[in-house]
Amino acid sequence: MNVIFIAINLAFALLIAPVIDGFERKIRARLQNRQGPSILQTWWDLIKLFKRPTVEPQDSVVSLYKLAPYVTFTAVLTTYLIIPTLLPSSINFVGDFIVVVYLLGLATLSFVIGAFSSGNAYAQIGSNREVSLFMSEELLLAFIIGTIAVIGKSLSFEQLFPLPLRISSALTLILLFIVIYVASARLPFDIAEAEPEIIEGPLIEYSGKHLGLLEYSIFLKRLLLYSLLLNFILPVQTTVRLVYYLIGIVILSVIYSTFEAYYGRFRIDQAVKLMKKLSAVALIVWIIALVGW
Amino acid sequence: MLLEILKRNNAKILRHDEKVILTLVPNDKLRPTAELLFKAGCYYATGVGVDERLLGVGFSMYHIFNCEAEKRYVILKAVASNLRIPSITPVISGANWAEREAMDMVGIFFDEHPEPLRLILPDDWPEGIHPLRKEFHYNERPPKVEFKPPKREKKPGVMEVPVGPYHPTLHEPEVFELHVKGEEIVGAVYRGFHTHRGMEKLAEERMTINQIPFLAERICGICGYTHNCAYAQAVEDAAKIEVPERALYIRTILLELERLHSHLLWFGVAFHLLGFDSGFMHTWRIREAFMDLAELLTGNRKTYGMNLIGGVRRDIDEEKKKKVLEILEKTKKETKEVLDNASGMKELISRMEGIGVLPKKEGREIGVVGPVARASGIDTDVRRDHPYAAYGDLDFKVPVYKDGDVLARFLVRYEETFESFWLIEQALDQLPPGDILNEDYELPEYAIGIGVTEAPRGEDVHFVITEGGNKVYRWRPRAPTYNNLPAVPIMLMGEKLADAPIIIASIDPCFSCTDHMVIVDGEKVCRCSLDDYLGRL
Repeated sequence: MNVIFIAINLAFALLIAPVIDGFERKIRARLQNRQGPSILQTWWDLIKLFKRPTVEPQDSVVSLYKLAPYVTFTAVLTTYLIIPTLLPSSINFVGDFIVVVYLLGLATLSFVIGAFSSGNAYAQIGSNREVSLFMSEELLLAFIIGTIAVIGKSLSFEQLFPLPLRISSALTLILLFIVIYVASARLPFDIAEAEPEIIEGPLIEYSGKHLGLLEYSIFLKRLLLYSLLLNFILPVQTTVRLVYYLIGIVILSVIYSTFEAYYGRFRIDQAVKLMKKLSAVALIVWIIALVGW
Repeated sequence: MLLEILKRNNAKILRHDEKVILTLVPNDKLRPTAELLFKAGCYYATGVGVDERLLGVGFSMYHIFNCEAEKRYVILKAVASNLRIPSITPVISGANWAEREAMDMVGIFFDEHPEPLRLILPDDWPEGIHPLRKEFHYNERPPKVEFKPPKREKKPGVMEVPVGPYHPTLHEPEVFELHVKGEEIVGAVYRGFHTHRGMEKLAEERMTINQIPFLAERICGICGYTHNCAYAQAVEDAAKIEVPERALYIRTILLELERLHSHLLWFGVAFHLLGFDSGFMHTWRIREAFMDLAELLTGNRKTYGMNLIGGVRRDIDEEKKKKVLEILEKTKKETKEVLDNASGMKELISRMEGIGVLPKKEGREIGVVGPVARASGIDTDVRRDHPYAAYGDLDFKVPVYKDGDVLARFLVRYEETFESFWLIEQALDQLPPGDILNEDYELPEYAIGIGVTEAPRGEDVHFVITEGGNKVYRWRPRAPTYNNLPAVPIMLMGEKLADAPIIIASIDPCFSCTDHMVIVDGEKVCRCSLDDYLGRL
């Protein structure tokens, strides 16, 4: 039974992730005084990309360049086996929390390596920025994980969902809310892809299927992070959880896309500075959790 | 003061009135005269190389100086002896491009020019053929020359990042080569003139005096009308044509309307480059209203086609006047709301503050104009210093900031936007009755005229030598970006790569203005003459 439920979860994620992006595009368009494309537009875009042939740049390390999109996509998809989405079923073991963090790290890493191997100057600058942002994010995430582990006294998701109501857990969730915003590469943190500056940075040389896969993994990663946050809040009973989960996704994407519409882009040094400040806050929250509040 | 300097240097005064002093300077006195003029507070507006052999003079160079203090333009004319004229670039670096352009287009050589390289002609253009000489015809195509780009040495640790020729920041084909160490820019080289359109040649050979305004308007898609006005003013100045007062007021209204739409366009682009797309969408939504206004007044949303020599082509009646004021009231409120909200956003301001600083001294040497100059503490505005159209009768402030950074340029444009609203309201209110077009004139033979307007980006200078009949002998439009671009590498030095787009955009560059027509036939550039092309249509 469990295997079927996990399959349903996966299918849901694969199907819905681009739709959520379409929904967010629509919200942003309305806020910017535009009509905006249909909610399914992101799906049409992806389908078109998957039909197109791919091109490898002359200066690239072809093997790495071709492999990177698949590794990124697989890494994100694997994470869905551990974090439940629609139904509360998942594969659980001690330390799966750490595995999730590493899988997301692997996704970013292969993304960056693929970009580096393209040999394009813009891609290299973009990956450079991606790495610096990722590093500063990582420190913050480490503190958050530490806090959650202290609160739940476990490193397995099964025991962590949902978090008990405490000051420290509320503060952690707020921090997690911010990290998710940063990690899903939205304005003002889409510094690595900044279109007017470095023309989509790491994505610049990718085309066709490869580009489709990379974009698909970005959408999947966003939905995954939403689900992660929601799982910490929602109760575990199946029917109630399902309704709350769907409402939660909609609320989160409305909040996130509204934020996105009202921000300009940070410079990389400004973003890193902000992340450092947040890490200091996270450290304090961790201490609060240790005290037992 | 100016006359003293000129007389002391044996300059022969050819024309002297309240607008222009035109002098013939002996070659050996050219450089000291230019230097003295610069020290007296005149900045280098532009230089024009002319093939005057048909007039029995030879090749000559006109250096045009803008002397704001005395509200005059001083033109130094030098005649080449044996194709050579001493260069004034060593004393005024702003003359660099103008002299190199004359070198390319007319084939005058400038002695002791520090950088005697091609500026406008492409690398595969043969030596010794100069397109603006009178024996070269507009539909001629010289043979291509084999060209191998020289090999460049790579510096260790420095990455070359090309911004252009195709880049989302630029929208037009130009190249900024940025040398980057990590994220820091350690060197910047500008290479432009990728699409030189040969407008001057076309105007001289094919067009009549009253057709050129429509060509001049097509120099730029954003600030076309001010080029159109500047050209009309140049011919009116040369032929001493009286323009009816009502026409002058109508010109003023349209010029300010153009400034409004141009500044809002710039705000939108700047917001987009800073990642703030909502701001971009909203400023462009408001800009739409100004385009509708232009349609109401001229019948066209852009490229108004309003000017002829001696006046304008359409009148503004009472009904239109009322409607314009109504729309202005509404848009003023909206503009204020959007721009105030944007300037209240901390992360936007932090991306502009202290970025891309242009010190006053460098700015003066290069001769930067418009908002770029005013943001660097240079108090210059053609509307106030050399009143044209109806600006002499109207009341307006010229904002000047000292910081010289991107934020200062933003604020200068912010204040100018609201000054423009005020100017249009005044002009509409005081609109005098009378004719709108004076057609009773005759074009003199070989008269020199200069027309200047303050475009949204800065001072536009149009220089005209008439040929009599209905033709011009030489027409040279100079767009503001021509003077502002050499300042960009200075602004870029030492800044972060992420700030490069907003720094380049902060001068509100208009590359097509600077490059001056390419005939595009469907997908590719047509390799044919204009006659062939028109035959195909």
